[in-house]
Amino acid sequence: MSQTNRIKGGLVDRSQTLKFTFNGKSMQGHPGDTLASALLANGQKLVGRSFKYHRPRGIFSAGSYEPNALVELRTGAHQEPNTRATVAELFDGLTANSQNHRGPLEFDVMSGVDLLAPFLSAGFYYKTFMWPKAFWEKIYEPFIRMSAGLGSLSMQEDPDVYDKGFLHCDLLVIGAGPAGLSAALAAGRSGAKIILADEDFLFGGQLNAETYAVDGMAGSGWAAQAVAELAAMDNVRLMNRTTIYGAYDHGIFGALERCTDHLPTSGGKPRQILWKIYSKRSLLTAGATERPIAFGNNDRPGVMLAGAVRTYANRYGVAPGKRVAVFTNNDDGWRTATDLADKGIEIAAVIDSRDGTPRASIHGANMVMGGRIVDTAGRKGLKSLTLSNGQVIKADCLAVSGGWNPNVHLTCHQRGRPNWNDDLSAFVPGDDLPVGMSVAGAANGTLALGAALKDGRDRANEIVKDLGFKASRKAAPKAEDEAYKGAPFWHVGESRKRAWVDLQNDVTVKDIKQSHAEGFRSVEHLKRYTTLGMATDQGKTSNIPALAIMAECTGKTIPQTGTTIFRPPYTPIPMGALAGRARGKNFRPTRLTPSHIWAKENGATFVEVGNWMRAQWFARPGEKGWRDSVDREVEMTRASVGICDVTTLGKIDIQGKDAAEFLNHIYTNAFLKLPVGKVRYGLMLREDGIAYDDGTVARLGENHYVMTTTTANAVLVFRRLEFARQCLWPGLDVHLISTTDGWAQFAVAGSNSRSLLSKIVDDGFDLSNEAFPFMACAELTVCAGTPARLFRISFSGEMAFEIAVPARFGNAMMGVLMQAGEEFDAVPYGTEALGVMRIEKGHAAGNELNGQTTAVNLGLGGFVSQKKDCIGKTLSERPDLNRDDAIRLVGFKPVDPAKPLLAGSHFINKGDTANMANDQGWMSSVAFSPIMGHSIGLGFIKQGHERKGEIVRAVNPARGSEVDVEIVSPHFYDPEGGLQRG
Amino acid sequence: MVDLNLKAEPFLGHYSKGFKGVDLREIDDNSLVSLALPLGEESKAIKAIEAAFGIPVPDVGHSALAKNGAMRLLRLGRDQLFVVFLYEGMDSEPYIADKLAGAVYSTDQSHVWVTLEISGPSARAALERICPIDLNPDAFAIHQLARTNMEHLGTIIIRTAPDTYLLMSASSSAGSFLHAVETSIENVA
Repeated sequence: MSQTNRIKGGLVDRSQTLKFTFNGKSMQGHPGDTLASALLANGQKLVGRSFKYHRPRGIFSAGSYEPNALVELRTGAHQEPNTRATVAELFDGLTANSQNHRGPLEFDVMSGVDLLAPFLSAGFYYKTFMWPKAFWEKIYEPFIRMSAGLGSLSMQEDPDVYDKGFLHCDLLVIGAGPAGLSAALAAGRSGAKIILADEDFLFGGQLNAETYAVDGMAGSGWAAQAVAELAAMDNVRLMNRTTIYGAYDHGIFGALERCTDHLPTSGGKPRQILWKIYSKRSLLTAGATERPIAFGNNDRPGVMLAGAVRTYANRYGVAPGKRVAVFTNNDDGWRTATDLADKGIEIAAVIDSRDGTPRASIHGANMVMGGRIVDTAGRKGLKSLTLSNGQVIKADCLAVSGGWNPNVHLTCHQRGRPNWNDDLSAFVPGDDLPVGMSVAGAANGTLALGAALKDGRDRANEIVKDLGFKASRKAAPKAEDEAYKGAPFWHVGESRKRAWVDLQNDVTVKDIKQSHAEGFRSVEHLKRYTTLGMATDQGKTSNIPALAIMAECTGKTIPQTGTTIFRPPYTPIPMGALAGRARGKNFRPTRLTPSHIWAKENGATFVEVGNWMRAQWFARPGEKGWRDSVDREVEMTRASVGICDVTTLGKIDIQGKDAAEFLNHIYTNAFLKLPVGKVRYGLMLREDGIAYDDGTVARLGENHYVMTTTTANAVLVFRRLEFARQCLWPGLDVHLISTTDGWAQFAVAGSNSRSLLSKIVDDGFDLSNEAFPFMACAELTVCAGTPARLFRISFSGEMAFEIAVPARFGNAMMGVLMQAGEEFDAVPYGTEALGVMRIEKGHAAGNELNGQTTAVNLGLGGFVSQKKDCIGKTLSERPDLNRDDAIRLVGFKPVDPAKPLLAGSHFINKGDTANMANDQGWMSSVAFSPIMGHSIGLGFIKQGHERKGEIVRAVNPARGSEVDVEIVSPHFYDPEGGLQRG
Repeated sequence: MVDLNLKAEPFLGHYSKGFKGVDLREIDDNSLVSLALPLGEESKAIKAIEAAFGIPVPDVGHSALAKNGAMRLLRLGRDQLFVVFLYEGMDSEPYIADKLAGAVYSTDQSHVWVTLEISGPSARAALERICPIDLNPDAFAIHQLARTNMEHLGTIIIRTAPDTYLLMSASSSAGSFLHAVETSIENVA
């Protein structure tokens, strides 16, 4: 197909020809075309099918608010549905397909749905398809979903990459039309940092679409000259193909930059960037959007907005029709007729809803003042229109103008409400704008060109002066103020045919009236009942006409009827852009332990613990599964010595004259008298008395402590301590800094741990029980001078130490420990063996400190000192938390040793029904104990401390398990603690 | 006797790579000690620091470099500084503590942080993709610093020369941090 509708003029580059396909048909266009302009140039009027009725639809607009011309772009994994052809920039090799039809676009087998329209009016699915009940979910709803809708997904992973970024400016100018360019020039000349963003690939906005002159030259030429001047300014950043989609708090804006959508491939670079723009001030110069008039069968391909028709002619050099009629309620609509006539396009008629004299003389055109269109004809493209007086006018394009709506959307993103302007019959920005925002030009209701240019310049100068810059004295660009006045006219009442208000969602005038008749009086209800204003265009062309019709129904004015709330995004944002780089393993950062490389080289299987990758177990040849490895690690540790990287536990360096007092308030137990060189276990509570975290504190000096936290709570505890330090007790001399990453720390556990460590400590550091007993700590050196810290603490129940060296030495330290332990058959162990040993020992961990349990529940009631106050103490004393039948942490073993236990099982007394009323508690942790030879568990059960020896049922309905268990002490291994002290 | 000598390994293996308009490298030879100013004795502590190192203590959000370039003070908060210095010994914290003779509380942070130096004419463009801070030259002068987040990772950024920045982040996530910065560079290169 050749470009049969291409006419002279326009801003496309005719020196180059671009090939593209639409539904497999080869077509041609030029750089500077959108897909929509190229389709029209090639005579392709039918571009899609409507959402509900599968009505033939064509291109309606020339902007981002296009409701009809949604297409699928590209192929394979790159395919993207619901792309507006009016903003898709043409490139060589572009593949586009129409959407929402079965079979060919021209012969959609689903078009028969249109005949069922009487049954498919607003909210039909609330009233019909109700019987039989079971059919709704299985038959009706799937069928409705299948037959209605937009484009299809490729069902493949998006192969493109996306990025995010941060920009800062003194002034963000949103929209580069006449007012925006004028504003950016003025502000840029002041030296302020400016960002000028526009969703179009060509700056200039309406200047590129009109024939008006600015400063004595063509508007588009002036725009190009202005852009060149701005581009030469170091303080100005020009961002075309960039939509400012949301206005957020504190002058922050969201912007989507389409970097490679206009190219055949992205070449591995980000396709789009989601920018967060921090602005001191913003100036909204987003222009205005033309609105249609509703009349019978006003949705046929060829019925377009009048401004769009002349945009295609003036900017793209395309005639949307060979014989064009205009239907308008305002003077601006006449401009379409005169512009097209000037280009030699036949004007069939100008129908003006207003009485009076024609606003222009157009050769050969039928001038109908006070006219109404009641119907149109032409199944796949407009052929004629019928007036209320019965006159039939042949035309293949009808340009409709119902006036212009200022684009106030971003002014409302923080719940601001627009004001109604009777002169414009439109909403203009309200009084409650986002902080720092001003509005100029058409977006502010200043629709005439000369006034908009001046408005932009004046507002920009006010802003830069306010920011402390010297405003430029240069005068605003000069242009005439064109006529645009009109009289409100929303729909043709005489029309008996369906008249569309929202083309994208197939909502008609009748639907709105019906909605009102059925009691949906609020605009918000109207929107949700009819679906008006939803989907990709968010009702930019339909909201105001719908409000007007609603107002007619209610007998109120439009402002009394209200408006729906505009929320971000202004135009659709691809999910990929929102995700940015945060995909797959880049979703979040990964933290590696210092011995990660050693562990990897020695067969570790890793597990994600928060952001950390921790060795879970170290498999050896011949082991058939993880249990073999874990059992071996436990047995060898208990028999001799095992080594585990425990760096992930949080470490907080606490110093200050008041550090001891600070810790005394943080922990439930006493810390004032902890001697230097000693470690103490500590429990902290939330303010509500629930256990928060536990760990140890080592006193390294008079005013120097090191706290350890659980891995999961390391950051939270640090934050909590900072809050306490800065806000609760600012008078205390306490200083905190995290050292979690700074020290590689290893648990060395087992009867030979002392012998192993004695080989690496320097200067004969005395590790004997007398010199370095249980809960001792020291700073020392190891391996001939490497600084280290040693703690005599045990999580496994064995005689154990934790040795820490600076993190860069961590990987080597693991190797050294293993080497030193060779004669003792030392074994590395992972988190699974660590977990087994702590359950054997009866230590509470994250499963037990789960945000529901108190110190009493944990059997740590004695740790809450009665001699001092601490965070959470008062509320921990609430009677209900201290009832006699409170749950207690105890151990459980299966009556039949062969039966495994399941964490999450609930305890039910023998003979009781397994239901919530009889729930006695739950199993929090289980493990197979290679030492005991059977499964063991920790859990909470009512009055557990008084029920040892009792048999209860551990029931897990979700996993179909029920096991009789005996309540025992939680300390399965070495309950007297002799080993760890030995 | 087995060889039980420990060898330090840089977090990123002395990473160094050139991109179009950007150079990125790991700085691994600096020691880093945090200094906390005791409550009520801040002035005394500041005088002690200035006397010990001969560097005026900068305002919060700024750094100051010794005349010979071997030491930099970072003022991270009203009561917190970092001292970054070239030092070959492993006793960085005692070394600093001795010089300050109890006027501050000091903590060795040398192994807590991984440091990347990003430089070159496109460095700022690359950082725009990851750094929320305004790095415009008049908003972020040479020697200025900020604590911020880059790709969810806490980061200290210091401008050390017209087109050169130091980025310090947690050493355990050094690999993720490098990947994030590399991606930013590659996305603009």
